[in-house]
Amino acid sequence: MESSRDNHIKLQMRERESDYTNLQPYRIFCGTWNVNGQQASEAINEWLCPAEDSEPPDIYAIGFQELDLSKNAYIFSESVREEDWYKRIKEALHPKAKYKKVVKLVRLVGMMLVVFIRKGLELEIYDVMSGTVGTGIMGVMGNKGGVAVRFGLRDSTLCFVNSHLAAHTVEFERPHTDFKDINSRMLFGNRTISDHELVPCFFFFFSSENSLLFCSIVIWLGDLNYRLSDIDNDACKKLISDGRLQELMKYDQLVRQISQKNVFLDYLEGKISFIPTYKYDPGTDTWDTSEKCRTPAWCDRILWRGSNVGQLCYRSHMACKLSDHKPVSSIFESGIKVIDRAKQRQVYEDVMKQLDKWENEFLPQVEVSTMEIKFKDIKFIEQKKEILVVSNTGQVPVQFEFIPKPSDTNFCEPWLSVEPSKAVISVGAKCEVHLSVYVNKDTGPSLNSGKARIEDILVLHLDGGKDLFITVSGNYIPSSFSSSIETLVRMFKPVTDVETGSLIEIVSASTSLQHLILTIDQASSPNPSEDPPLDIPKEIWRLVDHLYKYGMEQDELFRQPGLHSEIQLIRDCLDQGKPRLLPGSVHSVAEALLLFLEVLPEPVVPYEHYDLCLHVCDNFTQAKQVLQRLPTSHRNVFKYICAFLRELLKHSASNFLDARFLGELHLNGHQSSRTAHQTRADHRSSLLCDAF
Amino acid sequence: MANQGGAQRPNGPQSKICQFKLVLLGESAVGKSSLVLRFVKGQFHEYQESTIGAAFLTQTVCLDDTTVKFEIWDTAGQERYHSLAPMYYRGAQAAIVVYDITNQDTFGRAKTWVRELQRQASPNIVIALAGNKADLANKRMVEYEEAQAYAEENSLLFMETSAKTAMNVNDIFLAIAKKLPKNEQAGQQQSRQRGVDLSQENQPSGGCCK
Repeated sequence: MESSRDNHIKLQMRERESDYTNLQPYRIFCGTWNVNGQQASEAINEWLCPAEDSEPPDIYAIGFQELDLSKNAYIFSESVREEDWYKRIKEALHPKAKYKKVVKLVRLVGMMLVVFIRKGLELEIYDVMSGTVGTGIMGVMGNKGGVAVRFGLRDSTLCFVNSHLAAHTVEFERPHTDFKDINSRMLFGNRTISDHELVPCFFFFFSSENSLLFCSIVIWLGDLNYRLSDIDNDACKKLISDGRLQELMKYDQLVRQISQKNVFLDYLEGKISFIPTYKYDPGTDTWDTSEKCRTPAWCDRILWRGSNVGQLCYRSHMACKLSDHKPVSSIFESGIKVIDRAKQRQVYEDVMKQLDKWENEFLPQVEVSTMEIKFKDIKFIEQKKEILVVSNTGQVPVQFEFIPKPSDTNFCEPWLSVEPSKAVISVGAKCEVHLSVYVNKDTGPSLNSGKARIEDILVLHLDGGKDLFITVSGNYIPSSFSSSIETLVRMFKPVTDVETGSLIEIVSASTSLQHLILTIDQASSPNPSEDPPLDIPKEIWRLVDHLYKYGMEQDELFRQPGLHSEIQLIRDCLDQGKPRLLPGSVHSVAEALLLFLEVLPEPVVPYEHYDLCLHVCDNFTQAKQVLQRLPTSHRNVFKYICAFLRELLKHSASNFLDARFLGELHLNGHQSSRTAHQTRADHRSSLLCDAF
Repeated sequence: MANQGGAQRPNGPQSKICQFKLVLLGESAVGKSSLVLRFVKGQFHEYQESTIGAAFLTQTVCLDDTTVKFEIWDTAGQERYHSLAPMYYRGAQAAIVVYDITNQDTFGRAKTWVRELQRQASPNIVIALAGNKADLANKRMVEYEEAQAYAEENSLLFMETSAKTAMNVNDIFLAIAKKLPKNEQAGQQQSRQRGVDLSQENQPSGGCCK
């Protein structure tokens, strides 16, 4: 993401370049000459500084082809010719200015490129690089190909390519391939070209920044070797002598290819008003008289690419006669970019501001149906549901997720469930999040006692964006279910009639009592002297009593499940203390009893006595002793249940129950979550059987 | 090097972008969201809605040599959300603790926030204290000197600001940007995931940095 951001900034800056860039004109002289391996035997002022050029150029870029056709040039990358030619060039530069080399020269076999800059201006150039590409024998040798120099000048990047492309009159596909090759392979190595060190054949520095495409101005010169097609020698020469060059130009392969967009895309060439520069008898202005008798052609060309480039002249130099080619030159006046730093900074700040604006606009946005979800009366094991609607009101898809608060592992309280907790919403769409509250035996005790409340904050996090806090609250109606035996025996009124405050008092009283077994904390009990604790919780009594009255003969009692709805009614009835007769079937009452025992926060046989009970399970006397150590109310409940079970077994003929099943059911059920429950159940049932 | 010419490649201003997480803390209704709104959008709403959650926005500040991109977490000020604040100041490199100059309690609360940050946030967090609503000078309850002395004692940046008049709003962010360390690490860390990435199974949760 960040890199695309960077790219965006770069692109924006480039697009707005003209807002902070001034153009400063630079005069650039470019020359190309295929010297056919000849020695530097004549002066070249006529080419590099003809009399009509009164104003000295700022930059010289001079390319040679076939500078050296000797074997040494191929094999040893050495050339004696280059020194000679280099001297000649230096002597021929414009006399009105002094020049410094940019790169002394870059040469690949016969191709040599020399770049000079006016003295003083060399301080404005940087990042000088050069590269070569061979496309000759085997597609890589340097007899054909290109050499190039690029450098930064003020805030522009200039590149000069000198190439010698392969010749073929009939099938002019070849030069195109060469061109494409050079264009794609000419990447500039970050290397200095020392005097006679030749650039290794290829620099594959695939940083696109350095490729030809990324230069502000490219000037491509050389012996491009395009010929005239579909015209015979005589007709050609006739047109030349008649001065009908524009007519002749129609047969030029390069012109045709460019117009068909096959080659030199985006490059421009100026109008040619000079006669073909190839092929002459060396030393003369006479067309080729050799056996081959070549048709004249404009082999030597100069093209350019880039904005703010104006061509001042494009010409050949007939006075230079030593080769079978005539040299060609062109002078450009190009606008070199000079950035106004203050303006650039302003534009940059603008771009950043715009980017910030977009980024903020494209942040994920949602609307929620409510920030506060209130659940009405929540009862034990009774699920309540609410829906939160999350709408994507932003301009991008949203991924939301409820995330945990600091130091929490879950994102919500255990009595709450949220579905889905994570989802993706497309733009303009909605997502219904279902929240449900369900209080079970794990969460019931603290809610019953008033220590905990139905209160939570959900953090709804939008990926890559903001967080919303959704408050969840509800009114929990305390229940006898999931309240402790100690609490219940001190509660003389139905649970729902007890004020929350006094409920907490009762609970804390009963808690402290559990520690000081059998010692009643008189002070904190509401009416201690008048109201001693009940023997057993009245709710257990009511459930058992109901079963005793109506269920003893019931077939499948405790085996057949009750109805959840009836159990809820029974719960309400117990908690509200009315009506007298419990609603629902005896099966529901039986299950309510099991549930009641199961959800006790502290089981009938408290956790701390388990191990001991296990230990003494085979010994009746010891078992009785252990029983004596249980808190009174727990012992009472145990005895009461046992007595009830004993009664129940008397009716086994009609209810088909047996001691083992009941023992397992009651005492296993009540500890179902304990891992050792099976053992304990066995133990308890044996204890029970002993009691029987 | 290939540099025979001598001149250096000219550097653009965009040379380096550092990204920082900044959190705003403070009592509710002191103007945290208003400060952000002023800084990011140049706007002011007389009746700014109470933030229930943690709003997120980004804003870039251009310094001479670097560009600082703030990822701003504007937190809910209400006390009941206090326990959630660590999600936002955890991993933050900068914090603005805001109080209302017309309300002494909010200044006390600001001090509590500063203490909490000093204890719980990353040790080199840059903390700025902003005495907001400076336009209501006639109702001032917290003296400038008092707050300044406190800020000095605790090495905090301090400014009185007004989201309404824009006074010192950009300045305080700019001062923080200048004070933040701009080493390589700082610029690269805390790069947030943006947009929807469904390929990531275990997205790090939390509104904090990733």
